Amino acid sequence: MDGFYGGYGLVGLLLLVGVLFVTVAFVANGLLRPTVPGGDKTVTYECGVDPVGEGWAQNHIRYYVFAYLYVVFAVDAIYLFPWATVFAAPGFGAATLVEMFVFIGFLAVGLLYAWKKGVLSWV
Amino acid sequence: MTIQSVDYLAIAPPLAVAVLAILVLLLDAFLPARRRALVGLLSTFGLVAAALPLLWLGGDHRRTFCVPATGQLARSCSYVVDDFTVVFQSVVLGGAVVVMLLSLDTLRDSRLPSGEYCFLLLSSVAGALTLAAGRDVVILVVALEVVSLPAFALVGLRRYDGRSSEAALKLFLVSVVSTAVMLFGLSLVYGVTGQVHLSRIAAVLRANPDLPRPVLVVAVTLAIAGFGFKVAAVPFHFWAPDTYEGAPVPVAAYLSVVSKAAGFAGLALLLTRGFPSYADVWAPAMAVLAALTMTLGNLVALRQSNAVRLLAWSSIAQSGYMLVPLGAAGKGAIDSVLPATVAYVLAYAVMNLGAFSVVTLVGRRRPDNLLSDYAGLGRAEPLPAFALAFALACLAGLPPGLLGLFAKVVVFQAPVEQGTGWLAVVMAINVVIGLYYYLAWAARLYARPGSAPDPARTYRVSWSDGLALGISLGAALWFSVLPRLILEALG
Repeated sequence: MDGFYGGYGLVGLLLLVGVLFVTVAFVANGLLRPTVPGGDKTVTYECGVDPVGEGWAQNHIRYYVFAYLYVVFAVDAIYLFPWATVFAAPGFGAATLVEMFVFIGFLAVGLLYAWKKGVLSWV
Repeated sequence: MTIQSVDYLAIAPPLAVAVLAILVLLLDAFLPARRRALVGLLSTFGLVAAALPLLWLGGDHRRTFCVPATGQLARSCSYVVDDFTVVFQSVVLGGAVVVMLLSLDTLRDSRLPSGEYCFLLLSSVAGALTLAAGRDVVILVVALEVVSLPAFALVGLRRYDGRSSEAALKLFLVSVVSTAVMLFGLSLVYGVTGQVHLSRIAAVLRANPDLPRPVLVVAVTLAIAGFGFKVAAVPFHFWAPDTYEGAPVPVAAYLSVVSKAAGFAGLALLLTRGFPSYADVWAPAMAVLAALTMTLGNLVALRQSNAVRLLAWSSIAQSGYMLVPLGAAGKGAIDSVLPATVAYVLAYAVMNLGAFSVVTLVGRRRPDNLLSDYAGLGRAEPLPAFALAFALACLAGLPPGLLGLFAKVVVFQAPVEQGTGWLAVVMAINVVIGLYYYLAWAARLYARPGSAPDPARTYRVSWSDGLALGISLGAALWFSVLPRLILEALG
């Protein structure tokens, strides 16, 4: 189980064990349990509470735009955290600080555009 | 560890276009609605201004975003401005200016949002400019995505038209899948070599012949498949006709010229700079792709009745010709691949823009843009008809379209010299097939119109359309008179 392709062999073996485990568990379960179908057993299980409404729930399309705007901030944060760990280190200085503000400025343009186009007002 | 210095002159063209894109977006948001036409004009002039640094960069060799030498690996840079970069950036910017000029009237006459249109086009152009200079795998992939992502939105901007949405969805799905395939291939390359810079990948592959060859063969094949989608090579071509037809015509011109040139730049860079030692693997694959692409493209083009669809299939066929130098690359002849590919891409950009300019012009009066709409155009509008006829002669490679002829000769040389004679034969047959539909279209221009003359027959050509037409026709004539400029584009 060593070498380049040996590693994949191990993965394959694990996959086989996993499939076997599930198969054996379900077959054993089916053989051992009593079978009494019907009634409440066909209702969707929802933490013990009676299910309400359909399986398909609708969200307002407007949330879609807010999800997009959220991405602006998420991307922002992803770059800010690693930057925050190094920018005070020796060798980095004012230039590094300015660079991050340039980046944030670019993201802010997206927000500015959304605001100007009236996306932020909830009608 | 310190911050690296950045050579701002080297990155000036993409930087200028990117800043221009942001500026255009903000202007559009804050300008009153009646001043929106300014946005298109600003984008056009901005693109011209972004080309100015190329005057200084020509003949120069600048590198930036570098990593220092480590161990046996030399210093290598992610962003390099050499002759290849300058030529490709000129093609991209020239093509973008013509497309932008053609878009001005389209924006005025249609319900397209002009600010968003210009912003998306400029963003995509910035990506194409970066791609030509990228010399590491990460930059190549990111730049390719910057080219593609705005293109989906550009194609789908005509939201009131169902075909436009269909075209955008097709382009999006195909492009995303191809990117995933390519990324998988490139991740295998990184896994085996541990490098992202093309020069370092080549160095590691050369220095260690005992690396797992099957993995690398799969990696190169997957990367080729990914770029194959972008340049619309058979069997990854099926999105092109529907997408070109559904998009606004200037966007179709953009996809077939600028976006395709970017794809070829990436493909040629990756294969010749990153995997020169695997030429015996990728060259036969590219040869087969080239033969299939040109044959299928030409055969299907024979049956088209819509001008844009015909140009779409013709541009698939032309992709096949552009792949020929890569397909003929032998072990010792990698260096001759890039100049031949660049020469053909340059010639193709000029002649295809010429054809698309006239097709855009006719499309303003005849939105269906059928080939029958071109009957008798030579009588009603002699100059656009001449421009189209000349562009078609170039695409066919027939005198007086010397530009196309010389480009085909350059491409033709490669398989003859490298001993892949069958590819030369396939190409020769295809050039003959291409003659038929290009010339049939050109002949239609000067035929007597079948039906009664149409009162709306004369096209009132606006200054922007006229300028776009003039630039592309002028470039085609100029390069036909002085073909050395193209042949020696890379020295």
